[in-house]
Formats: sequence, structure tokens, C-alpha cells
Amino acid sequence: MSELLSVQHLTKSFQTSSQQPVCILNDISFSLQAGESMAVCGESGSGKSTLLFVLGGLLPLDKGHIFFQQQPIVYNHLVASSEIGYVFQHYQLIEELNVEENIYLPSRIQQKTVDRHFFNKIVDLLKIASLLQRQTTHLSGGECQRIAIARTLLTQPKLILADEPTGSLDEATGMRVMDLFFYVCQTLGTSFILVTHNAVFAEKTNKVFYLKRGKMSDEKD
Amino acid sequence: MQSWVVALAFKYLFPKGRWGTFFTWVSIVGVSAGVALLTVVLSIMNGFDKNIAEKLVQVNGSVKVLSNQPIRDYKGWLKMIQETSHVDAVTPFIHGVALVQKGNHVAFPKCLGVDPASAHHVFPLDKFSTQKDCVQLKKDAWVSPQIARDLNLAVGETFDLYSPLSLESIKNDEIILPQEVCVENIFQTGWGEVDRDTVIFPLEYLQEAYGLEGCIHGFSLKVDKEHIEEVCKALNAQLPTKLRSYAWYELNEDFLYVLKMEKSMCFFVLLFVIAIAAFSMSSGLTFSVVRKQREISLLRSWGASRKAIVQLFCLQSVILSFLGVCMGLGVAGILLYYRNEIVHVLTGWFIPKNALWNFYNVEKLPMAFSGTDVGATVVLTFVITFFAGLLPAFKAAKIPVMKGLRRE
Ligand SMILES: Nc1ncnc2c1ncn2[C@@H]1O[C@H](COP(=O)(O)OP(=O)(O)OP(=O)(O)O)[C@@H](O)[C@H]1O
Ligand SMILES: [Mg+2]
Repeated sequence: MSELLSVQHLTKSFQTSSQQPVCILNDISFSLQAGESMAVCGESGSGKSTLLFVLGGLLPLDKGHIFFQQQPIVYNHLVASSEIGYVFQHYQLIEELNVEENIYLPSRIQQKTVDRHFFNKIVDLLKIASLLQRQTTHLSGGECQRIAIARTLLTQPKLILADEPTGSLDEATGMRVMDLFFYVCQTLGTSFILVTHNAVFAEKTNKVFYLKRGKMSDEKD
Repeated sequence: MQSWVVALAFKYLFPKGRWGTFFTWVSIVGVSAGVALLTVVLSIMNGFDKNIAEKLVQVNGSVKVLSNQPIRDYKGWLKMIQETSHVDAVTPFIHGVALVQKGNHVAFPKCLGVDPASAHHVFPLDKFSTQKDCVQLKKDAWVSPQIARDLNLAVGETFDLYSPLSLESIKNDEIILPQEVCVENIFQTGWGEVDRDTVIFPLEYLQEAYGLEGCIHGFSLKVDKEHIEEVCKALNAQLPTKLRSYAWYELNEDFLYVLKMEKSMCFFVLLFVIAIAAFSMSSGLTFSVVRKQREISLLRSWGASRKAIVQLFCLQSVILSFLGVCMGLGVAGILLYYRNEIVHVLTGWFIPKNALWNFYNVEKLPMAFSGTDVGATVVLTFVITFFAGLLPAFKAAKIPVMKGLRRE
């Protein structure tokens, strides 16, 4: 297994209006092998989302290094964007496009040619084949999130950063969506880092980290 | 520009399964109203301007040779002018004022003396004539309709002509009796100023009345539109300094300037309609940018560049203005095609029939299509709407990638 992501001494603080800068991520180091999955848990406000954004190059870091496939990740230099995919709590489908067009859009933006077989495979795995020609306005939350996952997977990212993908779904639906997500990532061999409050989901990943007061540990304490 | 930008811009304006959004149509209709209004108004103004130009040429000739004093021995000059290339016809003329009287009706018209032998080559007298059988000036007077009305004159009747010369002779205790003049024809040029108070006489008639035997005041020339400038130049090179040639548009410079000014003002004012349409389009797009912040962040997170986002929103304004321009030109075409019917219906409601036509002296609403005007309208519409679209586009591009992705 080759190393996919390597995080060394990552430090990130936010300048709040008057006071001292608040250190959200303090000297964090970890690494992720290709095909490996990881869960990040922690209280609200502990910096889980911030960590994902820094990893994806959407936020600048203060100190430390992030290497993705041996290449440093530079803030706002969205070269990594075609190799790293996101799944957010807000699935944010584009209502003017139908389901199929929504799924294709990120791949089109990244100018990736999509194999129709691969498309069908993902659509089948996520059980959205019957929705393809529908408009997105009247879909259920679970359907929307499955479509959002499909559009991310279609770009064939090496790593998916998922920030509470079930955050706006009820428990049963969330469970079904996550089961599919785990299954598809396993089938395709895609690595992912999952931010979640749900211990059940966290347990299904290869390793679980807890973020607390800027530090990461594998102990829940 | 990447293909997804084009596809998404169209989808934003015309989502699947819908005939475009409300915003789309408001924008298109706004722009098209502006374009249609500008095109229609300018075309009709051009039509009137063209009519006026035609009339000015008809009643003055396209070129006039004038002097500040009576021209003696004009036959030589006449020959010279005739032989200048591109001069189709020349006629000498004399002009002045006189007192005319019939019974107890008196008028003080402008008098124009022209050479009966050549006048009809320069002035379309046959078109001016109201008598079918009388198409050339012979030996008596042609009076304008207003004078005929004022003096209660009909063709074949007579009136008295008191020239300035007869007033002069009163000073010397001589009495020169007024000349009795027969009305040969009543003419109508369609040019209000002339139709109001003009009497046309044979040249010699007026020469005698003014005591200007053998003299004239100038020449009227008929010249092709394309050669007017050339002819003026050639004539001015050969004529002595006391004789100068002037093109019709030089003689009516001030009047034509006012017309041009009027048109420019109209253009400028109507351009505001387009500016307002562009403004509403801009605010509509800004609203859509604000509504789609999260979506724009998402596009950026997938690797869409700032440039692509700018293009996405600029393209929407370009599409809207393109459709607006097309629709506006179409509507303008229809309105112009049925302009007479439309005006007849409208005037039927508001104005007694024919008042308008009599006032403007036209049977039909004139119209002249000017490529330059339409081109200017289209180009300016595109420029204005493009700049209006830049505002929301840059606003969209400034949205940080993070903005929409944070959980709220
Ligand atoms: N741009 C910013 N400026 C200042 N403070 C910020 C900024 N972004 C985040 N923070 C702060 O950083 C802390 C961590 O935020 P983050 O969104 O990463 O938390 P989280 O662990 O994802 O929480 P949740 O589980 O509620 O999503 C919070 O206290 C937040 O207020
Ligand atoms: Mg979060």
C-alpha cells in the first residue's frame, strides 16, 4: 500500500476580532494509505470541518505540511480538486439540472471523460438508476445525498472528504445511505475521511480519531 | 469557454421542463422593449427627415447659385453652369415680396419668378400642380393653396399685384397702376413654408414688376445626389467671387442641425429605456448570485476557476440581451410594417381623422430604415447589458470557496 495522504505538524488558528488567535488545530500529524478509510469525531466546534477544508486546500494552514500523493497541497491552488472529492451535509444539487446532468457536472468541470459503464455501475450501486431523468426539486433527502455521492464518485477521486454526509437525514435513511457509501468506496477502492458524530459509522472505518482542543488522538477518553 | 459553462448558463435561464424563468422573460422583454422603441422611433424620424430632405430639394433645387446683388447679363453664366458636368438642369430665378389684393382681401406673399422654359426641368412642377392638364408654368401666376384661400381665388380668376416699384413711384407723385394677374394654377408642394404664402410668376413678369429687366437673383440647379459636392466645388472654382454656389443642405444648415439634434436627443433618451432594462437584468442576476452562493462555492470546489464563474454569469446577460435584441427587432419590424394601420386605429380613437395627416402633410407615416442607427442600437444594447452583467459576475467570482460549504 502506498501513502496517499501525509499530514505533518498541521497547525491552524483563527483570528477572532479582538482577542488572541484561537488555535483550532494544534500540531496534528497523521497519514492515510491508499484505500484506507478514516473517521474524525469530536464535539461541535472542535475543528473537524476546518481540518477537512485545510486538507482539501480550501483553507490556508499556519504551520506544517500536507502531502497528497507526495505533492504538497497549496491553499487555493485547486490542482488537487480533481483527485479529492467532497461530500457535504448540504448536498446542494443544482435545481435547474436533472439528476443525470447533476451527476455529470463535476466531471465536466474537471474535463474528465466518463465511461458510461462506470456511470451505470455507480448509479446501480447507489440505487438511483430510476431517478436519472427526474428534476431534483421533489427528491427526498436520502435520494439527494445518494446523488451527491454519485457525482463525487464519478470524478474518480483518490480521496473523498465527507463532512457529516448524513447530517440532514433521519437516522434510518442516514444508515442506508452510509451503508451504500461504505460499500461503494470499498468496491472502487476509494479512500475517505469521514467526519461524523455517529459512533456506528466511525466503527466501520479503518481508524478513528478524536479531535479535542486542537489535538488528535485515537482515544475517545 | 468550457462547454459546461455554456450549458449551465442556458439551464439557469431555461431550466428543463420550463419555458424560462420569470426573470428570464422580464429581462428579455425589457431589453426588447427598449430595442423596439428605439428602432421604431428612429426609423420614423428618419422617414420624416428623408421626406423633409426630398421636399427641400424639390422646392429649392439641389444646388443654388446666389449673389448679393442682381446678376446682369446672366446668359453667359447660365451657359457655363449648364455645361458643367453632372448638372442636369438650370433655371434662373428672381425672388422678392409683393402686395396682392383681390376685392378687399390683401396678402403679402413671397414671389418667385422662374423661367417657364426651364423651370420644370429643375422643379417638379407637374407634381406640384393641382390641375391635371396644367403641368408647366406658362404666362400667368401659380398661387399656393393658403394664398388662394386667403384671397378667395380660384383658377382662372384675377388679382392685383402691387410691386415695391409701384410704392417707389408714389413717392415721385407718379401713379403706377397695379398689374392684373390671372391665376393659372394652384400648386401644392407639401412643404408648409412654401404652401403658406408663395406666388410663382414667369421670370419676365417679376423682372418687370421689380424693375429688374435683364437681371436675376440666382440660379437653381438640378444635380444628382452623389455629385452635389463636386458640382459646387467645380462651380465655385469658375464663378467670380460675387457669385457662390451652395448645396441645399448648406442653405438649410441650421434647420437640418436642429433635426439632427432632435434625433440625437431621442436616441439618448430612449437609450435610458435600455439602460433601465439592463439595470433590472443586473439586479436579477445579482439576486440569482446571492441565491446561488452555495452552488457557486460548490462549483469552485470542483475546480471551476474564477474566470469560469465570471463567464457563467456574463454569458447569461449576453444570452438575455441577444434574445432581447432579436425579439426587439422582430417587434419593431412588425410595428413598422403595420405602422399606418396602427396609427389609423390610434388616431381614430384620439384625434379627428386626417388632422394628423394634414398637419404633417403626409398620407402615410414615412419610414426609412437606417443600418447605422439599428447597428448603433444593437451594439450599444450589447455594450450596456454586458457591463450590467459584469457586476453580478464579479460578485459571483468573489464568493470564497468556503462560503457555501460550511454548515449553517
Ligand atoms: N473563518 C473563521 N473565523 C473564525 N473562527 C472560525 C472560522 N471558521 C471556523 N471558526 C471556528 O473554528 C471552530 C471550529 O469550527 P468547525 O466548523 O471546524 O467545527 P466542527 O468541528 O466542524 O463543528 P460542527 O460539528 O458543529 O460542524 C469553531 O469554533 C468556529 O467558530
Ligand atoms: Mg462541521
